Amino acid sequence: MTTHAIHRDKQTGKSLWADAWSRLRHNRLAMFCLLVVILYTGVAMYGEIVYRWHQWHDVTPPYQRTNMELQYLPPSFLLSPFAVDDGEEVSSLKQAVTGISNLMRHPLGTDGLGRDVFQRMIQGTRIAYMVGIVTSLIALPIGVVLGCMAGYFGRRVDDFIVWIYTTFASIPGLLFILAIAMVVGQGLLGVYLGIGLTMWVGLCRLIRGEVIKHKERPYVTAAHALGLGHFRIIFRHILPNVFHVVIVSFTLFFPAAISTEVFLSFLGIGVEGEPSWGIMISNARLRLWHGIWWEMAAATTALFFIVLAFNLLGDAIRDALDPRLRTGK
Amino acid sequence: MFNYVFRRILQMIPTVFGVILITFVLFNVVGGSPALMTLGRHVSPQMLEEFDEIRGFNKPLILGLWAETRTYEVSDFKRNAGPWREVDGVTHHPDTDRDHSHIILAPDMEYAIPLAFPPRAGTSFRWTLEYRLSSDGSASFIYDKPESEENDISFKKRRIDIPYSDRWRKITLPFNAGEQPDELNMRLTVEGAPIEIMAMELERRADHILDSQFVFFIRQLARMDLGTSHVTNQPVTRMIREGIGPSLKLTVPIFFVGLFMAISLSLICAFYRNSMMDRMFIVLAVALMSINYLVWIVVGQYLLAYQLGWFPVWGFETITYLALPIIIGVISGLGTDLRFYRTVMLDEMYKEYVRTAFAKGMGRGGVLFKHVLKNAMITVITNIIIAIPFLYTGSLLLESFFGIPGLGYMGIEAINSSDVDVIRAIVLIGAVLYVAANLLTDICYAWVDPRVQLK
Repeated sequence: MTTHAIHRDKQTGKSLWADAWSRLRHNRLAMFCLLVVILYTGVAMYGEIVYRWHQWHDVTPPYQRTNMELQYLPPSFLLSPFAVDDGEEVSSLKQAVTGISNLMRHPLGTDGLGRDVFQRMIQGTRIAYMVGIVTSLIALPIGVVLGCMAGYFGRRVDDFIVWIYTTFASIPGLLFILAIAMVVGQGLLGVYLGIGLTMWVGLCRLIRGEVIKHKERPYVTAAHALGLGHFRIIFRHILPNVFHVVIVSFTLFFPAAISTEVFLSFLGIGVEGEPSWGIMISNARLRLWHGIWWEMAAATTALFFIVLAFNLLGDAIRDALDPRLRTGK
Repeated sequence: MFNYVFRRILQMIPTVFGVILITFVLFNVVGGSPALMTLGRHVSPQMLEEFDEIRGFNKPLILGLWAETRTYEVSDFKRNAGPWREVDGVTHHPDTDRDHSHIILAPDMEYAIPLAFPPRAGTSFRWTLEYRLSSDGSASFIYDKPESEENDISFKKRRIDIPYSDRWRKITLPFNAGEQPDELNMRLTVEGAPIEIMAMELERRADHILDSQFVFFIRQLARMDLGTSHVTNQPVTRMIREGIGPSLKLTVPIFFVGLFMAISLSLICAFYRNSMMDRMFIVLAVALMSINYLVWIVVGQYLLAYQLGWFPVWGFETITYLALPIIIGVISGLGTDLRFYRTVMLDEMYKEYVRTAFAKGMGRGGVLFKHVLKNAMITVITNIIIAIPFLYTGSLLLESFFGIPGLGYMGIEAINSSDVDVIRAIVLIGAVLYVAANLLTDICYAWVDPRVQLK
């Protein structure tokens, strides 16, 4: 099996990425998770469009519209949809139409202010994606640049960067994030900075280790011999070879960022005035005691599946990309 | 060995210093005014100044002689005349286009400078004034300095002239507040032509150049004084001493029960690796990992304590109150731990000594418990020691949900009420403990594992 694989690689000369993709494609669970992630991404984009549209037209979006008469409506699929209020005879067609329109109205029920839980869940997905993407955009570049510099230049630069990240790693994580968010002020900016500025440490450490290994390889020596600059060697030659670390880190970083946002919003430090999953859980917590479970269920289920999909996908991608694991088998 | 330990302790110093630096930057530099953050905008400037005075926030940041004071409320005159709003003869002239908004003081009048409260006694101050004054006018800064000579207070009039200038010009006017600053009576006289003032600022002279926030913070730490909570008005060190007990009662059982379960399950996984059971455990572990901590707590509290009534819902009285939080803590951490220890065990399983053990005909159980577990212990011990600092911080959410008065509960409360000193102290102690635990791990590692070379 192994010799055959090596042989085939030689013949076709597949790149690391193509090879990893072909491995990933045969992993049914990973493909399913990828599908889930794509689905969530679509939902988040839809949420963004809804949000922008309503902001552009300056109207209250449906997920913020309160209606005290429709307070605590259970999910419509639990109600008998074909029930008609008045006792008079109606045709089965009309019955079906009312049934379907009832089903469509509040598929996951409403919350304490009569807002539609389904729409709020979609907006929660949008917020979660925003947090995941923006914090990645903060944390990944910091981790990659510092890690590459520490590994490549060594000596003083290395000492300095190692000092920075040991310091950051020493501070208890959640408290550090909370403190940053508190100092920056409430709202999404605090969440972005709190998560982004604390979670680059792991990636930085990994990249540094990989770059140290690659620094002594012949291809880097060859690049030196050609007289290329440090910048070019780091980012054009070494970085592509260690980039799989970034990809794997990203897939594990993303769900962690989402979960942390839920924490922060739950504690009242994160998002304000917008329906994040954390806010939904926080609102639904007290209502749960009165038996109103659907808002809680919607937010937690949405959260569970995206985190699960990312975790499984991350594992699969690591298995597909990491050459060490491959030779071990 | 001794040399190694000594060197590692030396290496700790920069990290501890870094942690102190980060907390300082976070709370003193970035954070804006902690006084405003904690007390809000609706208190008098004097109260804010007192808050700052106790915590050293009214000093220069790192180095410097001149510090801000709230005696005179600084305003950039963009929207209104700031503290000069109520003063007769003052008109506000907005000029936001060129950023030259200013106030105009009409000529031939004497203005009492609007101060929020009297300046501090016996301290040197200086005004910084950015102004414009045409040549046919004159202005001067006048104050009556009380001077007591044997129970007899006489006032001495001091006068500083402000030179005329056609263009915007910046000058500083130093003065000493004397012993009875409430009698100081500071005035500005304008004659001939109006004076236009674009910016005006009052600064207090620090005692010496090192009388700064940073030095204050370091000295506070050197005295082992972590400040005072403004909510409870208690020293933070005492609050931490009281909170650490309940925290440990919660986290220590969670940690050891969780560890025991994770290691046993990981051994089972390693024993039956690649079987249905192993795969089932892995899937279970990932699923457990993916359920948010919050959900465990909320649903656990609702179902087990409220609906089924098996456990008390809230409080900290007897040992039964700890049972549910401990169960939730163990279950929510199990997924991650199980996966970690399974990898550790499987890493060992592929090593040569294991193959040898199998080759000489040893049974699977024997190999697992006699060889693999013993070798894996190095990683396990490392992991145990590194987890110690996290035991101290307690569990933020578990404690606040179940009303356990530990450090986590304290931390959440402090964050909700912006209690800067408490958060800073918890962050700082957590970090220092982490650094110490790291040191301990390295020493244990070097001591237990002969393969580690003491470089």
